[in-house]
Amino acid sequence: MRKLICIFFTALILFSCDPKPAEIPVPMETYVPVYASMSDVQQISVEPEKATINAGKIYAYQNYIFQNDLYSGIHIIDNSDQHNPVKVAFLSLPLNTEMSIKGNYLYANNYTDLVVFDVTNPARPKFIKRVAGVFPPANQEYPPYTNIYFKCVDKSKGIVVRWEKQNIPTPNCRR
Amino acid sequence: MKKSIFYLLLVSLFLCQCQKDSSSLSKNSGSVGQGGSLARFAITGNYLYSVDENQLKVFDISNGGDPVLKNTEDIGFEIETLFPFKDKLFIGSATQVYIYSIEDPAKPKLLSSAISPDVMRRCDPVVAKDSVAFATLRTNGPCGGTQSVLAVYNIKDITNPLQVATYPVGEPYGLGYEDDVLYVCDKQRGLLLFDISHPYQPTLINISINDGSYVDVIPYQNTLICWTTTGLILYDITNNRNPQLIKTVN
Repeated sequence: MRKLICIFFTALILFSCDPKPAEIPVPMETYVPVYASMSDVQQISVEPEKATINAGKIYAYQNYIFQNDLYSGIHIIDNSDQHNPVKVAFLSLPLNTEMSIKGNYLYANNYTDLVVFDVTNPARPKFIKRVAGVFPPANQEYPPYTNIYFKCVDKSKGIVVRWEKQNIPTPNCRR
Repeated sequence: MKKSIFYLLLVSLFLCQCQKDSSSLSKNSGSVGQGGSLARFAITGNYLYSVDENQLKVFDISNGGDPVLKNTEDIGFEIETLFPFKDKLFIGSATQVYIYSIEDPAKPKLLSSAISPDVMRRCDPVVAKDSVAFATLRTNGPCGGTQSVLAVYNIKDITNPLQVATYPVGEPYGLGYEDDVLYVCDKQRGLLLFDISHPYQPTLINISINDGSYVDVIPYQNTLICWTTTGLILYDITNNRNPQLIKTVN
């Protein structure tokens, strides 16, 4: 009987001293916010044409077609030769989603602001005016996708200007 | 005599040059471009209208380069779509469509909001032609419903749209029309064409167009401009029932 009890307790001790290996967090595909300052967000420039990354809303005006690249800017396409439309420029406009044209004025959103460009030469938009603080901030809570993990936004770090896919362990947010 | 004609010509040339001067303070009576059915900016007359989640903003753009915010209206919650039609604005939200009068363009006035959620819902891009409106009602995502459809409405009494027909589709998004052909973007089935010469009975035109995953369209100057998930596809719609691929621009 004592032997049995001894064996029992020895076994108990042996098993209890055998720790399970710690859980190692596995890196997962996660959207990570990229922060910028307000002055970065208000940086506007006309750049050479480039590939479309996040195809967005479209707009037609005379011989030109405009396509938003989500939260990034506007592709400008010359359609004067309707058999051969070509991209001619990219208007870099952070956090842009919308545009509309009347006469030779292009109206667009730039984060919380309405901005106006002279598009007398549509391939070379010229910035004219900013009406600040008229739209609510967009893209500041979560990325524009669903069924994804993301790193929660820390507003003290600045304005979320875009999201980047990275592999990081234990993302703390999901949608 | 020749000298006076010459001077007259000079003077008229000079005058023409002055008219071309586009200072930012000159009145903007220029032409308006065309956006797709998913736009949240819309220009009509001398005003730019914009919707966000809760509000409608009205900007006076009569001085083209100097827009002035004139009005902000609280509309509701989860506003998604904006569609100007004659002297009205259709604004779609999660539960209903609000119809505003812009007879006084700076002061949109609510005409009606008592519309059944089954009739028009917020995820529904709408286009109108005369006294008929077409909308795509999509079931996936937050929009709900059991079958995605193209819906047709009698809008003779614009404050009381009546659903008169539905046509089952796959996963519809934006739409647009050119004369009697309605183009509907269907992510599952491609670009669908409907004959709408009898608008209450849209008839599917038997043609298969599947060069991309279509999100929205703008029929413009004999070209169908398609927004796809990778960029743009352009079709020649000189024969609007038989789009001919021009080019993909990605």
